[in-house]
Amino acid sequence: MSHTVDARGLACPQPVILAKKALERHEEVLVIVNDTAARENVKKLASSLGYAFTVEQQDEEARIAITKGETCALAEDIISTTGPVVVAVSSNTMGTGDDTLGGVLMKSFLHTLLDTTPRPDVMIFFNAGVKLTVEGSEVLDDLGALAEAGTKILVCGTCLNFFEIKDRLAAGSVSNMYDIARSMLTAGRLVRI
Amino acid sequence: MMPPRSVLLFESVSAALQAEKILKAVDIAHKIIPVPKHISSDCGVCIRVDEENLDRALQALQGRVVLQDTRQLP
Repeated sequence: MSHTVDARGLACPQPVILAKKALERHEEVLVIVNDTAARENVKKLASSLGYAFTVEQQDEEARIAITKGETCALAEDIISTTGPVVVAVSSNTMGTGDDTLGGVLMKSFLHTLLDTTPRPDVMIFFNAGVKLTVEGSEVLDDLGALAEAGTKILVCGTCLNFFEIKDRLAAGSVSNMYDIARSMLTAGRLVRI
Repeated sequence: MMPPRSVLLFESVSAALQAEKILKAVDIAHKIIPVPKHISSDCGVCIRVDEENLDRALQALQGRVVLQDTRQLP
């Protein structure tokens, strides 16, 4: 039997607050709202907590059924690893398709790493990825902050040499294939971008 | 202490990119970042500027890029 929160006619953020409180005490909560913003906010709440939900819409009225389940325990499992988290950056763009978009995505990704758990223990930059670590790169502040927070930044020396930008290195330290290969092979999780 | 900062929100990634190009051309310090979680926007990236540069940035963009919103960061 689920707990019901009747939040019809209540002003924001009241429906969300009531739903959140109910979810602290009950496994299943049914939230009834009659306002689109309230419906979306309650859905967002359920998503952000990692809970499953279904929505039943009838005219103005929406009934959002939220089930807690075991999602949170699973999330904890996923982020536990036995070795270092290593992020290997092989390009100065993220993904393939469009390089302008890829450049924006890469900036966005690197900026996000600082606030993400787990934060990478090691980051390896190789091939065109090394361009992100030299003077003029727009992510030097993010890389600097990551380094300050404890992330080890390895930059492929061969690659800096190839692009003739070795003298412009501004983040991390020059590394070689031995260290790069060992870091990858001993990683608890290897994320390649 | 970090200086107070604001973000410029756009309706599309291409608008954000266009704005970035303009700000680069007029040499106003800025940074493309993902839209902070507490703010919702149609597009996933936004442009962060220091508060002291905000007016200049808005002026540079006026009439050239459609701005969705401007928000001060906490």
